[in-house]
Amino acid sequence: MAMVCSTVSFLVLPPHCSGRPSCNVACSSSCCSVASSSHAYCPASRNIVSILTSSHQQRHHHPLTSDALDKRDLRTKAGLWDSIRSGLLKTSPTSVTEPERKEDEFDLVEGEVVLVEKVQTDGTVEKIVFASGAEVDVYELELLCDKVGWPRRPPSKVAAALRNSYMVASLHLYRQPPSADGDIPALEKRELIGMARATSDHAFNATIWDVLVDPLYQGQGLGKALVEQMVRALLRRDIGNITLFADAQVVDFYKGLGFEADPEGIKGMFWYPRY
Amino acid sequence: MMLSINGWLNLFQPIQLQLPLLYPSLASYHHESRQNHSVTESGMFSQSDDDLNSRGFEIHMSRDDINLDKLNSLFVMVGFPRREKGKLLRALEHTVSLLWIHEKKSGSIIGFARATGDSIFNAIIWDVVVDPSYQGLGLGKVMMERLIADLVKRGISNIALYAEPNVVGFYQPLGFISDPDGIRAMAYSRRRR
Repeated sequence: MAMVCSTVSFLVLPPHCSGRPSCNVACSSSCCSVASSSHAYCPASRNIVSILTSSHQQRHHHPLTSDALDKRDLRTKAGLWDSIRSGLLKTSPTSVTEPERKEDEFDLVEGEVVLVEKVQTDGTVEKIVFASGAEVDVYELELLCDKVGWPRRPPSKVAAALRNSYMVASLHLYRQPPSADGDIPALEKRELIGMARATSDHAFNATIWDVLVDPLYQGQGLGKALVEQMVRALLRRDIGNITLFADAQVVDFYKGLGFEADPEGIKGMFWYPRY
Repeated sequence: MMLSINGWLNLFQPIQLQLPLLYPSLASYHHESRQNHSVTESGMFSQSDDDLNSRGFEIHMSRDDINLDKLNSLFVMVGFPRREKGKLLRALEHTVSLLWIHEKKSGSIIGFARATGDSIFNAIIWDVVVDPSYQGLGLGKVMMERLIADLVKRGISNIALYAEPNVVGFYQPLGFISDPDGIRAMAYSRRRR
């Protein structure tokens, strides 16, 4: 399928990405693993900077609620991404109102980040959006789990587990075909292509579980973006200890995202684990 | 001289007709469902609530009546940081299961353990502490047995924790296995980013 990319924005890759070798999309649940075969690209820093700037002005209307301001974790090391974003946010006065919404077919809310944006030859606009608070449909999730070969779990239990999770992060692919009629925009389709969730005591510790990306979309750095965005969201909420359990083959994946295995010799232990 | 936890417990264990291995081989897990594993080797708690009560220890498994100052005192005694009370309360409100031991004579909290999770599939146990003056009496095991029993009763099948190297040996006889199937504990380190 030929694709012409008029705007390709990979907004969340670290500018100092060193071009890591094969990136396995990770899974931190003990019963599954998702392997990816290809290399995660790494665009030049300059491109990222310019894309970030323009996209922010158009699209990133993160509402600055007083809550968000209070919880802004000043201890987080400001990476290039963070300093740009905070710089741009500072230009608007401290506002507690709804952000201005432009004529935008994609309605972003706080916690949403556009990771990829492509326009196809036929005019279809595709976007991959990370969200930390979007609704994840359990049946869509079941389809996704099937794709990566994870065993099915009762939907009612899955729904409850998601409800009881502190954060459910998702990657959705939005597709808007060109409108057949000039005036009426075509219906936008949305598909779940990735998910990760975290449980937490809402204060000190969080544990990330069930990280998965649709095999069709693996190899693009989406798994990394998913986890990285989730970590940032958790840090913004002042969760100081972010943990996970990594299958052997994805330990390096998480190391590349800033996770340390057996920190200070601490060992992960499971009670009568099932294999 | 400090007797090991297991050393002390042998005095209290009922005589068992079956003596299962303390460290069952991994092969035994494959065919048994979680329900077949009793929380303790004997199927009973190592010390009953009555045993404990008669020695002045009261087990509580509700966050009602927990005194945050006393809890913080316990944390400080074992080298944890004192936690800000608002945050500590929030953490306890979002804790799935917890246990604290009230010592009647002193009125202090001398033991604590809690578990977080999604209440369906996964639970993680945190902050397992016993006042150093009361260590070596089997109270750590007393807490863990009850916490695990509570989680199992809720149907939670995946119970995990992060163990410092010097307490891996404490958790193993309780049924915990480290790095099963090569799984590794990982934590985000801001230094590395």
